[in-house]
Order: sequence, then C-alpha cells, then structure tokens
Amino acid sequence: MWILVPFGLCLAVSSFRLQPASLVGPAAAQSVLPPTQQSGSGGGAEPAFEPDEIEAIGRLGPWPPPLTRDPSNRVSGNPDAAALGRLLFADSRLSPDGAVACTTCHDPARAFADGRPRSRARVEGRRNAPGLVDVRFNRWFGWDGGDDTLWAMSLRPILDPREIGGSIVGLAGLLRSDPRLSFEYERAFGRAPFAVSDAALAVDAAKALAAFQEALVSPRTPFDAFRDALLAGDATTAAKLPAAARRGARLFVGRGNCALCHGGPTLSHGEFADVGVPFFTAEGVDPGRHGGLKSLRDSPYTLLGPWSDDPARSTAMPTRHVEAQHRNFGEFRVPALRGVAATAPYMHDGSKATLRGVVRHYSTLDLDRLHADGETILKPLGLTEGEIDDLVAFLEALSPAP
Amino acid sequence: MRCGRNRVSPTLRRLAWTFALIGSAVGPVLACEPPDLADGSGVVGRVATLDHALALRSVPSPLPLNRPFALEIALCAQNGTAMASLPKVEAWMPAHRHGMNYRPTVTSVGPGRYRAEGMLFHMPGRWEVIVEIGKDRIPVPVELR
Repeated sequence: MWILVPFGLCLAVSSFRLQPASLVGPAAAQSVLPPTQQSGSGGGAEPAFEPDEIEAIGRLGPWPPPLTRDPSNRVSGNPDAAALGRLLFADSRLSPDGAVACTTCHDPARAFADGRPRSRARVEGRRNAPGLVDVRFNRWFGWDGGDDTLWAMSLRPILDPREIGGSIVGLAGLLRSDPRLSFEYERAFGRAPFAVSDAALAVDAAKALAAFQEALVSPRTPFDAFRDALLAGDATTAAKLPAAARRGARLFVGRGNCALCHGGPTLSHGEFADVGVPFFTAEGVDPGRHGGLKSLRDSPYTLLGPWSDDPARSTAMPTRHVEAQHRNFGEFRVPALRGVAATAPYMHDGSKATLRGVVRHYSTLDLDRLHADGETILKPLGLTEGEIDDLVAFLEALSPAP
Repeated sequence: MRCGRNRVSPTLRRLAWTFALIGSAVGPVLACEPPDLADGSGVVGRVATLDHALALRSVPSPLPLNRPFALEIALCAQNGTAMASLPKVEAWMPAHRHGMNYRPTVTSVGPGRYRAEGMLFHMPGRWEVIVEIGKDRIPVPVELR
C-alpha cells in the first residue's frame, strides 16, 4: 500500500499512513458513562470506567503528538533529505559486498522489522530487530539506548561489522560516485559531496536517513477513537471498541500496571527495565543498557558531540545527566506499543513469538530472574485466560483497523 | 546502590508528608519563607524540618511527566544562618524502589536560592525529592499525575 509521509514523499510500504499533527485537542478526565455492554471474560455487565481510569487511559494519547524538528539534525523535516534517506535506506552498496541494506533487517513490508527472533545481517545478531515506525519519538535509540539521536542510530549499524559492515570512506565514496545520490545530496544539503570530508559526508548520510525515518508515524487506531471518546464523555463512540479491548484497556492501566512503563502517547516511557527476559546468549552476556551507556560515552556521535547541529544543545539534557547504575546491567529499552501486532516476535531477544506469549510472560513472571535490588513494580499478574485474551485484544487495538 | 542512598526513615517520610499536606491545606508553614516562592505559584513541594525550610518550584510548571525539568530551590536555615554549602538533590519513588535515571547538578543562583538541572520523572505517581544539606536529608513529597 502507498503511504503519504511528510514532505509529499511517497513510499511503498505496509499499511502505515501519516496523520495530521494535531487531531486531538485537550480533553478533561471526567467521570462519564462508558459502554456497559456484556463482558466476555467476566460474564457480567461491564462496570463504568472510574475517573482515575479515564485519566490513566487519557495519558495514552492524544495521537499523533506534535511533530517537532530535531535541532541536532539540520535536515530534520527536510523533504529532499528524506528522499535521499529513502534511497540510502534500501541501498545494499552501503555494505562492502553489496549484500546488506537497512531493509535487510528493517523491511518496509514488515513494519520495518524483519519477523525473525534475532536479526540477521552479516551474521545473526543477539537481539530482535525493532520496527522503526514512530522511532522519531524515542529519547534513546536501540534496545540498549546506545545512541541519543535518530541520526546516530542510523550510522551505527552501517559501521558495525556484524550488521552492514560499511565504512566512513565507503559511504562517502558512494555518495560521491553515484550520480543520483550526488544529485540528491546536493539538493538536500546545498553543497556538492566533493566539497565535503568523508567524515562529514557519512554523518550527513545518517542525518538524511533520520529525515526519512522521521516520516514513519503510525496512524490513529481504534484505541485512539475510544480514548478520545472516553475523555469527551461520548459513550456511543467509545462503545465501538470491542468489549474485550475495553476490558484490556482497564487491565492495562489498572491491575496489570502495564501503563507505568508503557505510558504516554507512544505507550512507552522510553527508559529501560529488566523484565525477566534472560540476557544470557550463545555469544555471552548481553549487558543491555549498561553497554549502551558505555557506547554512548565513547561515541563522538551524540547530542554533546561535535556533529550535533544544535549549538545550544537544547535537547541534550538527558545525555548530559544520564547516570549509570548497577541495575542497568541486563536492562533493555521499554518498547513503544503502537502497531505492535505487526512486529512479532517480541522482547529484546525475540523470544516471545506472539502477543499472547508476551502477556503470559507477565502473568507467570519468574521473580527469580529479576534483579534482587530492582524495582518492585513487576509481580506475576496471575491472569485468567479471559484476561489474557482481553489484554491481547487491547494490544491489537493499537494497530490501525484492517 | 541507588535505592539504598535514597532510603529515608519511615518516620521522617511520614513527617514530610504531614508537613506537605498541612502546607497545601493552610498555606506556607515555613519559618523562613523564601519571598520569591511565597505566592506558591508553581511550587511542587515545601517542607520544614527543625533545621531547615525549603520550597521547590518546577520549571516548566506544571511538573512535566517524562520530560526534563529543573527545580528551583529556596532553602533557609531555621536559625537564620546562611547556607554554607550547595545542597545535593536526587529523587526516587519509594513505592517502586527506583529513582531517576539522571543525576541532577545543582548551582547557586543567589542567597538561599539554587537550581537543580537534569531532573526527569519518567513515571506518574508519588515521588520524593531528597534535598541533602549538611547532615539534614530532607524528603520532599511530590505527586505527579
């Protein structure tokens, strides 16, 4: 399906469409009469949503949020840069043998994931390839948060020998030698690639890739219509969300405690957690956030580094103040959940094949796998099969209606 | 460990919440009320101990969820002496046993006035800002919805 993305750029991908930036106005969390249809799992009449439940569900929106430019990327929001980024994203010449492109692991037909438990670029990695839709809203990028910008995250796999395995020199040479890429580069950046150093060209290529990925914003979903109607006191519209998904929403913000970490319009607070998924792999221990912070500190490609285009460092507070802690070892970024039904398998290691498997994981959580000094948020939920169905229905309602 | 550093005695915590509730119900309780926070606008917490009184204001206000913010701190000694050192500031969620993932830096912006940069509350709920001045470790309850 063709989708419209900002800047008039068109892209042949799956069913994602860009939505207008300000569809939903502020809404008051007042007690309203929600749908009172028959419950599937409980068997009785569905109780009214309480004001605190409405408020909590309200915090999962509005959608889409304002789309702001990344001040560290001077071509953020630039359609010409996005056009260059789109070309680069699918170009296997980024790899030394022409075998791997960004699309190898971030397939547009698979919501920019790859459907594999662990991604396979040049070699099989130890983590699942996350989808890229809504990636622009991240504070930290990658499962370990090793980058603090979308452009830095775009450069890392190009240079990683286990992923694309390219090089600064190779990337710069490609931009200079390919007439189409040279033309697109000059149009986007206002200068010829021949006049730019290899290092600067590589960063510019990454910023163009970021401009392209910024356009990947998920559309509104059945949940959003429900959420907005609930806040507006419109019981009729709210009732259009299937009853199972409504019950799942109540569980999500209530007894399930899911919204503590999966909160906000993207359904993630964007920080890191140990949720009891093993971080031992065949290649050794995956240190998760601990390693990500080390990568961040060692990288020249950060909001505090020389390649940022924002001299005021106006968005660099998290990078400046982030603190390494013991519990970071084995923590991974809490993923956003919009469109989650399209990005199986799940968890940082792809160990859960289905959303049902994920919910069951939290239902039967093994506390012995969690850090002994960790948070006290996670406890086995002990869900019934009906409640598991409801939570899965809610998660599926976070994708656009078919 | 972070949660170890953050621990404050339950008695002191109850006392802090009591003072906070009184403050929000009947107005300022500070013996050394900082004048520029006296109108209460944007104040997210105020606490008095035997030794100190303080008030906190978030910038921006209201306190944002999952967004960086700064805290303006007005701090004074009950005996009227000047502050001898910079306070330290951190925050945690007692019910969840975790703190922020960020370490704020504190600068002096005037007599008894400080600014803590680098705060970020990534979850809604009950937080405690811990202001440490000398041997006085003062928990300031802050509710973030």
